[in-house]
Amino acid sequence: MQFEERQKERNSFSNRALVSFIIFTVLFIGVLGRIFYLQISTNQAYLTAAESNRTYTVPVQSLRGQIFDRNGNLLVGNQATYDLVTIPSQIQDLTIFLDQISKVLPLSDNAKQNYEKLFKSKATFNRELVLIKDLTDEQIASFQVRSFRFPGAFIGKRYRRISQFPELFSHAVGYTSRASANILNLPGIPSRNWKDAEYIYAPGLIEGQLGLEKIYNDSLSGSYGKKIFEIDAKGKLHNLVKVFQGSPGEDLHTSLDLAAQQAAHQSMNGKRGAVVAIHLPTGGLNVAYSSPTFSINEFANGIDQESFDSIIQDINKPLFNRALKGRYPPASSIKPAIALYGLNAGLTSWDRAINDPGFFVLPEDGRIYRGWREGGHGAVNLTKALVQSSNTYFFDLAYQSDINQLTAHLDGMGFGKALCLDCFDEDPGLLPTPGWKYAQYNRGWFTGDTVNMGVGQGYILATPVQLAFYASLLANKGAARLPHFGQNESDQLLAIKTSDINWSKLHKALELVVEGPSGTARRLSELKSFKVAAKTGTAELVSLDSKEAYAEIRSDVLQRDHAIIIAFGPMPNPEYAVSVVIENGESGGLVAGPVAIEVLKALIQK
Amino acid sequence: MNIKLYGDWIIASCILMLTIFGLFFLYSASEGSFDIVLKQAVFVIIGFALFFSLAQIDPEHFRRLAYILLAGSFILMLITALFGPEINGAQRWIRVLGISFQSSELFKVSLPLSMATYLQYKKLPISMKDTFFCLFIIGISALTVAIQPDLGTSLLVALSGLFVLFLAGLSWSFIGITFGILIIASPFIWNNLLRPFQKERILTLFNPESDPFGSGWNIIQSRIAIGSGGISGKGYGEGSQTHFNFLPETQTDFIFAVAAEEFGFIGVVVILSLFLILSLRTLYFALNARDRFCRLVVGGLLLTFLFNLLVNISMVIGLIPVVGMPLPFISKGGSSMITLFILFGIIMSIGSHKTLMQR
Repeated sequence: MQFEERQKERNSFSNRALVSFIIFTVLFIGVLGRIFYLQISTNQAYLTAAESNRTYTVPVQSLRGQIFDRNGNLLVGNQATYDLVTIPSQIQDLTIFLDQISKVLPLSDNAKQNYEKLFKSKATFNRELVLIKDLTDEQIASFQVRSFRFPGAFIGKRYRRISQFPELFSHAVGYTSRASANILNLPGIPSRNWKDAEYIYAPGLIEGQLGLEKIYNDSLSGSYGKKIFEIDAKGKLHNLVKVFQGSPGEDLHTSLDLAAQQAAHQSMNGKRGAVVAIHLPTGGLNVAYSSPTFSINEFANGIDQESFDSIIQDINKPLFNRALKGRYPPASSIKPAIALYGLNAGLTSWDRAINDPGFFVLPEDGRIYRGWREGGHGAVNLTKALVQSSNTYFFDLAYQSDINQLTAHLDGMGFGKALCLDCFDEDPGLLPTPGWKYAQYNRGWFTGDTVNMGVGQGYILATPVQLAFYASLLANKGAARLPHFGQNESDQLLAIKTSDINWSKLHKALELVVEGPSGTARRLSELKSFKVAAKTGTAELVSLDSKEAYAEIRSDVLQRDHAIIIAFGPMPNPEYAVSVVIENGESGGLVAGPVAIEVLKALIQK
Repeated sequence: MNIKLYGDWIIASCILMLTIFGLFFLYSASEGSFDIVLKQAVFVIIGFALFFSLAQIDPEHFRRLAYILLAGSFILMLITALFGPEINGAQRWIRVLGISFQSSELFKVSLPLSMATYLQYKKLPISMKDTFFCLFIIGISALTVAIQPDLGTSLLVALSGLFVLFLAGLSWSFIGITFGILIIASPFIWNNLLRPFQKERILTLFNPESDPFGSGWNIIQSRIAIGSGGISGKGYGEGSQTHFNFLPETQTDFIFAVAAEEFGFIGVVVILSLFLILSLRTLYFALNARDRFCRLVVGGLLLTFLFNLLVNISMVIGLIPVVGMPLPFISKGGSSMITLFILFGIIMSIGSHKTLMQR
């Protein structure tokens, strides 16, 4: 090659090499810029990502608050029990381990199979696995002396939610059971981590399912703690890095009264029905009892299929909370409310008397409405009509009423709406209005419907809680605090107005129901040492024309009348109001009455 | 007798520091395995011996050997195809005297040397006939590697030849037309030539979160490792991405992420600075080489080396799809390490032999 040509070649090479090198340099500067962006500008995001890669947060349930009655008696608490917990990753040979441990603590085949099924994955991911639940003292002792032979197993403390009175407060307190998915939305803990939550309770993560356990679940639960583990890419846990203690749940001090609830339980003796008692100054529910009942301990800590099926299939429906959800015709117990309406509306007075021939004839169509006593009560004024529960008097009074004003009046006394401030799933009952009837049945409101309402029959339905509240409203002379389970005064009340004379005469009349010689509940008088005011009711389930017809249907227990009583005492300055409903119990005074008296006695004579 | 030692202390010390850093990173990435580090250290020592020995040889000998080496390369590939063991569905290895090595590595040496030898007296611009002849040789060299299959190495082999051809004066119009055709043909390449897993790698690059536990895993975890390193890193042996197995291939292709996680941006700058100094020194040699053959060899090797480095780091930081290409002088691996020492031995020989050998 010529010199010139060599020179040209060399220049060409240099240019191309330099240009290429510069292009590479620019690209490398881009790469360095990208690394700068990752490491300096967005460092925090990647640190967080690396941290959440590296760590695994396991929620730890805190000890649940306990539930007490108003005298400090423990109703539901946490009882420590002991499980045999194993660490599969520390167990070399599963067969040998099971063989050896079963010589110390007998194992069922079922337990063995379950354990074998889960063993491998728990070993891979270094999680714990429970082998035997609820060890006895003997089992604990016999394991502990040999524990050195089982480095992969230990006795773990697990609590159980236990009530000393498992059947007493079932509906009011409710029970806990395995938590459903909705608690898995706690901030800071990814939902997939919940499967590894550390159990403090033997059944696992628990939450309230019914009653107070459900309503006050948040404060009873406290807050979850956290344990942070280091974890590798395969999901195997390494060492524990940090523990955040959760705060234990708050204890719940309720208005419930152990002795009174026990009195209700004993005197109901398994009969279908409900008892509700309210402390007048506060509105606190002292008794909220539904019968028959069931064991909350079984529901909270595992119930076998057979027992569960027998509860579910029981025709008496023990799970049904009659105190809150049972709908019953208030029957004659509504008469004081009708009387107040009549007095306020000027339709009647304490002096006005009518003749009660034992039936009322509706002027429009001549239809006959019967009273409970053949031949009637003769000349009755308002007091006598209440004491002896004259139907005719109240048929007549209702007949004169304006249905819209009457329902507004009953609404003001708590009928047709949920009242309790902290009850779980309360039924509002039913306060019928012409509008409601038209919407429901596409038929107009008849005068006969109003007449029926005068004796608490027909469409109107009330729950035992509503009846107890209604009793407390009467007892308090027109203003009562809404019922609740707290120990303080509830901050809401319902009030109706009428004159003081009306109130004192009404109280007198209701007292005579029990204490008077001709009262419908006169037989209760001797059962106690204090004075009680009450109104009985007998709710007809089948509309019949005669006693003979009732005698006929009586053979079917489920068609018999419901027995109802509302009561308050001690008179003349009442402190407690109570309602009792006994399904198909037939007589308010004779059947429901004694239950009410037992409960009042337990409350008043502490 | 006056014995002259040929060599360059700048290149030697850059490589020494890089390999020592590499051994440290490897110790961390292998969870403190002395065995792995020791084995790698042996390769480094052998590499340095070859590196200094080759520097003593006059470049003239490389030129004379070039075609023989290229022929030898093809023979080795044939032997590998016939007798090489199949590992993970690929036949890449050959076993001689108890030592296994990747036979395709020899192409990285023989192809640029042969191209430079062939082109050293050609007039500018390179004629069509010569261009196509060179492309043909480069093509079949790369193809024999590609069918092993080993895409990463085949790409480097092809480029080691192409860069020499480019530096020798490949006509600009030819380059322009070729790129034009490539761009027009790219949909065809995408649809017909790329395999599904290759397409997936490219697609996940743009949206790794679409499959965070599958094909996006490597990109995401590598980015987290680097990003979480911050300015000064988490400390040696403290990289949680590395040590809890979130990062893939920590000892080989992704070792840069290990360094970035544990030593941070400062560590990255130190490593890149060493590579920069090494490259600048090599560029200096290329520009001042004694003849055209030497220029083409050093220039070609430099550009191939830079390409290799760029691809590895870009892949690790998630700028390009995952391609199996090690980080020079740092990733674990005997064959590629020894080859690098040989290439830099040739570079140092050319850089330190300024005057023509007596014929």
